[in-house]
Amino acid sequence: MRVGSGVALCLLAFAPMPLVSGYHRPVSIEEALELLRSPRRVALGGGTTLNADRDPSDLEAVDLQALGLDKITTGEASGRVRVGATATLEAVWRSELLPDSLRELARAEQPSTLRTLATVGGLIAKGSPESLLLAGLLAHDAEVELIAADDDSTSRRSLSGLLRSGLSPGALIIAVSVATTGRTAMASTARTPADIPIVAAYGRSSEAGVSLALTGVADHPVLVDPSHPTAGLAPTGDFRGSRDYRLHLAATLTARVNEELI
Amino acid sequence: MAMDVTFDLNGSPATVSVEAHVTLREALRRLGMFSVRYGSESGETGAAAILYDGRLASADVILAASAHGHSVTTVESLNVSPELHPIQAAFSAVGAFQSGYSAGAMILGTLALLQEKPDPSEAEIRDMLGGILDRETAYVKPVEAVKRAAAMLRGDSVEAFAPLIIPPLSDGRNPAPAFDPDDPQASPPEASVAVPRLVPSREVPNMAVVGKPEIKVDAVRLAKGNPAFTDDIEPRGMLYAKVLRSPHAHAKIRSINDSKARALPGVHAVLHYDNTPRVKYASGGQSWPNPHPYDQVSFDDRVRHVGDRVAAVAAETVEAAEEALRLIEVEYEVLPALFDERSAMDAEAPKIHDEDDTTHICDPQRNLVHHITAKRGDVDGNFSGAPHVFEQTFRVHQVQQCPIEPHISMAWLDSDERMVVRTATQVPFHTRRMLAPLIGMDVKDIRVIKPRIGGGFGAKQEMLIEDIVAHLAIATRRPVRLELDRAEEFYASRTRHPQTITFRTAVDADGTLLAQDMDIIGNTGPYGTHGFTVQIVSGLRGLTSYNAASKRFDCRVVYTNIPVPGAYRGYGAPQAEFALEAHMEDIAQALEVDPIEFKRRSWVKVGDEMDIAPHLGERAVAEGELDEYPKVMSSGIEECVAQGMREIDWDRRNDQSWKVPADRPNIRRGLGFAFCMHGTAIPFLDMGGCSIKLNDDGSFNMLIGATDLGTGADTVIGQIAAEVLGVPLDDIKVYSSDTDMTPFDTGAYASSTTYISGTAALQAAEVVRDRLKARAAMLLEVDEPCTIELRDRRAYAADGRSVTMEEIALDSLHWQDQEQIMGTASHVSPACPPPFAAQFAEVEVDVDTGQVTVTKLVMAVDCGVAINPVTASGQVEGGMIQALGYAHCEEIVLDDEGRMVNPSFGPYKIYRADEMPETVVYLVQTMEDSGPFGAKAVAEIPKDGVAPAVRNAILNATGVAINDLPFTPERVWTALKAS
Repeated sequence: MRVGSGVALCLLAFAPMPLVSGYHRPVSIEEALELLRSPRRVALGGGTTLNADRDPSDLEAVDLQALGLDKITTGEASGRVRVGATATLEAVWRSELLPDSLRELARAEQPSTLRTLATVGGLIAKGSPESLLLAGLLAHDAEVELIAADDDSTSRRSLSGLLRSGLSPGALIIAVSVATTGRTAMASTARTPADIPIVAAYGRSSEAGVSLALTGVADHPVLVDPSHPTAGLAPTGDFRGSRDYRLHLAATLTARVNEELI
Repeated sequence: MAMDVTFDLNGSPATVSVEAHVTLREALRRLGMFSVRYGSESGETGAAAILYDGRLASADVILAASAHGHSVTTVESLNVSPELHPIQAAFSAVGAFQSGYSAGAMILGTLALLQEKPDPSEAEIRDMLGGILDRETAYVKPVEAVKRAAAMLRGDSVEAFAPLIIPPLSDGRNPAPAFDPDDPQASPPEASVAVPRLVPSREVPNMAVVGKPEIKVDAVRLAKGNPAFTDDIEPRGMLYAKVLRSPHAHAKIRSINDSKARALPGVHAVLHYDNTPRVKYASGGQSWPNPHPYDQVSFDDRVRHVGDRVAAVAAETVEAAEEALRLIEVEYEVLPALFDERSAMDAEAPKIHDEDDTTHICDPQRNLVHHITAKRGDVDGNFSGAPHVFEQTFRVHQVQQCPIEPHISMAWLDSDERMVVRTATQVPFHTRRMLAPLIGMDVKDIRVIKPRIGGGFGAKQEMLIEDIVAHLAIATRRPVRLELDRAEEFYASRTRHPQTITFRTAVDADGTLLAQDMDIIGNTGPYGTHGFTVQIVSGLRGLTSYNAASKRFDCRVVYTNIPVPGAYRGYGAPQAEFALEAHMEDIAQALEVDPIEFKRRSWVKVGDEMDIAPHLGERAVAEGELDEYPKVMSSGIEECVAQGMREIDWDRRNDQSWKVPADRPNIRRGLGFAFCMHGTAIPFLDMGGCSIKLNDDGSFNMLIGATDLGTGADTVIGQIAAEVLGVPLDDIKVYSSDTDMTPFDTGAYASSTTYISGTAALQAAEVVRDRLKARAAMLLEVDEPCTIELRDRRAYAADGRSVTMEEIALDSLHWQDQEQIMGTASHVSPACPPPFAAQFAEVEVDVDTGQVTVTKLVMAVDCGVAINPVTASGQVEGGMIQALGYAHCEEIVLDDEGRMVNPSFGPYKIYRADEMPETVVYLVQTMEDSGPFGAKAVAEIPKDGVAPAVRNAILNATGVAINDLPFTPERVWTALKAS
């Protein structure tokens, strides 16, 4: 099969990242931020992306494992749970504080041998357009705690906004908090049952209404209007799904999720 | 800068000095943990999975530095005694290993799972295995192994793993009668899907070793993760090779400047067209003389696909070799490229081989490599008078074999300055012969060693990289190792041939086939390799499955600039049988006849001629030159169909309440069937040898040139010898294969090993048996050695007296009239007995999205006598799932410039353990007199029927016929919309 040369390789599951030339393991957030001030340094979460490519570079890895950011705890606000940035997808899957539907997304995000390494913070930083867990976090009203490179205080941003703007250089994700209430539903289309869906729709119904997120229709998972799910979407096609097909799936799958939530 | 990293390794502290970029996989292998194996850089194969602080994790993506202070467990931790740990024993007992390349990962995953959950659910088991890709087992027996290990560790009793004996439903020749609704036989037998269902034949005698579920002879080395594979040794002073590959699909190399690369510290050699002899060859691993054209050289001044060789470097480290590649300056003149076989012969198409020194191209100006034709009977006459004529065109795509162990070779000059090549190959003897002229050495001065192979599936039936390491070893006089990375394995290895296939069939008013015409445009990519013989097999399979009064084959094989196609398990048959079985299905539907009934009328039966077979192939004869055509001598197809129909509950295909589930309005269900027929070895061509000698203790060494890829060939051939010699399998020590040590064998392909090499082993064992009987007669003072019977490690006289094998051995080696009892034999067969199979598929189609979910696959196979029903059923299970990938989700995708856009697992989708359909295997015994103990082939036929069965199931579900592969959601959705 052949496709147009303009297809973005970012749709591949394992985006290329360079092989590192240095390694640091800071023991405090302050130390980590200081290290990350250098543009030559990059935060190392689980390594499933960073270490997956072996092209050499001058980049140095700043391993966040000693920062104690791996806890999953009840949030300050009622009905919310705080997931540390270095919590692994395996930990999310196992956490009984989180809704089952969200835990299942963590399981489906990566196979068993990578789920134990990949971290929530890494997932957010990468912002993969096909990430099921990111879609779930969006629908669960996720807020990201982060510290910018030029500011020592923690700020909060909506995950939706952060995915739109991208993580600023040197910034450090500390945690993400999610709402745990509401009913959820999901629908997806993939080549095989455990394949990364071409498009997936994940919805959550709460007192505030329905939040619905889609994967595979933009350069990161997006929240959409459940009544007009394709409004403003301009997905890039690839060999698994053309632009038009993705739009069709967005409409079809959203309708299924809506129907289940109503 | 190197740093010292310390972690707990299998309960003891370990320190290793590493650079920042070194992964934990690399560090562990440096520490001797050879069970941790390379599958890819990105960890998704799981071949390098370890327990990291007690959790299963891919060591590919963990920096060694990150592991400082952590706990690391490898499967070597379980190897505390000669005995196997219960988990290792469970995996061995149920035949869960084929190549065993990822055995360590599976065992560790099981260990972690069972420590947490002593009685895990099947979903939990499959989730754990979901991180370890297995291209061989379809995960059926690994899942069974985990369940068995759990039971063993809980202290539950476990029964010996053995086939379930199923009574036949038919008389073996005619369709089985319909079931009475109250008949208990109306329901299929209940047992774990891992248990092979064996339908015995009365013609097959009970035997001591043959037909028994013996544990594989290599189980211990695989279960323990012992060093066995190519990469598991490291000669002193070894250099690392890397290959510079073309970024262009078609280009002329104007110049290469390697001066900067050569100047780089640590670089020892840089080879390319300007400093390497230009010797023409064809890389396909085939018998002498290799089919023409010889259109390759080790390094050319022309590149013909993205990933083609440009230069190779040997350096002290992988990193230095890679840096050297970046320093090689290549000036390309980019040429127009061609990808679609359907336009290859157009006048304006770019010419891919216009060099002067490639001969035997049929028409280089049209990119036409071969034009193959064959005919029998009055085809045009039969078409002209036929009441019905049907014509359909099918397009089959390009996929990759995906062995989890990529191609890897190492070469060095030994103390006699002979070239030693240790390589993951299916064809060590062909490789030796083909390598000799390329490196300017005689065959006698080359030794090819085939260690354990981590899967091949045809990709390794090729002399692919051995010439590169040999050239570099000569240039540097140092050992050189080259391993392809995962992306290279996709676009610079070998693949399945895409084809455009047109079938035209004339049918009489009563449904009899009058004529079949098969036209193929076969895409052999930039090089011929297997391009001729693969299309021949397409013709064989496309035109010998059904009887017709006349048949015609017309095949044009063309050059293009896609990644190189080559051998892939099935070898042209999966393409042809997809088209044929889809075509026959549609004819049945058009004639409003039940598809099985329609096909049954014409499928070949015992006594029928395989009428076009002699007119195809490397030694084809013309029509009229043959007095007698080969005939089918054994077939269990009716029993296969009967068992398969019952297992899949075939009557549901007309049950609307099942097909359209009331609670899932977007779902349509369907069932599909495909008739499958394959070959067993290449007659008059495939040859295998075997040598057996007796040891002091009554055991035997068996040397075979046959190449076990994980198929269980070593075990099966050992069972054949053990049966003849009257000893348990454990007394046969199998060694394969080494061109200096073992007899010749054409190699592991064409479903030939059991049939050809097995017969050689049988005959060698018979030579040994006769000497054992003679010596026993001497010891027992019996006049007639032929009255001696060998069994249970003893030689018995008719009166019940006996001597042990050990006594015979000690007497013959040390005491009187000393001799080495040994036997050697080789075998080539004039016959090619076809195995048959009935393939069934059950699918669900989401008619709103086009998503197809395959929910069940059933294959009932007549492979003659399965020498080992567990390994045989494993072959069928694994083959079916590879075939499902071909049908459903796998595809090589190129962009407009010919670059592969999905050269990694994930984007290139192969099935995981946690998404498998239910798979059930039936082994229907027949007695094939030409095979060893009645055996025919089993390895490739599972690849043939899944794609058409799934296609026909989609047709049954939706009424829509799709003639292009694979059945990905958008393709199906588009077809549904168009309908």
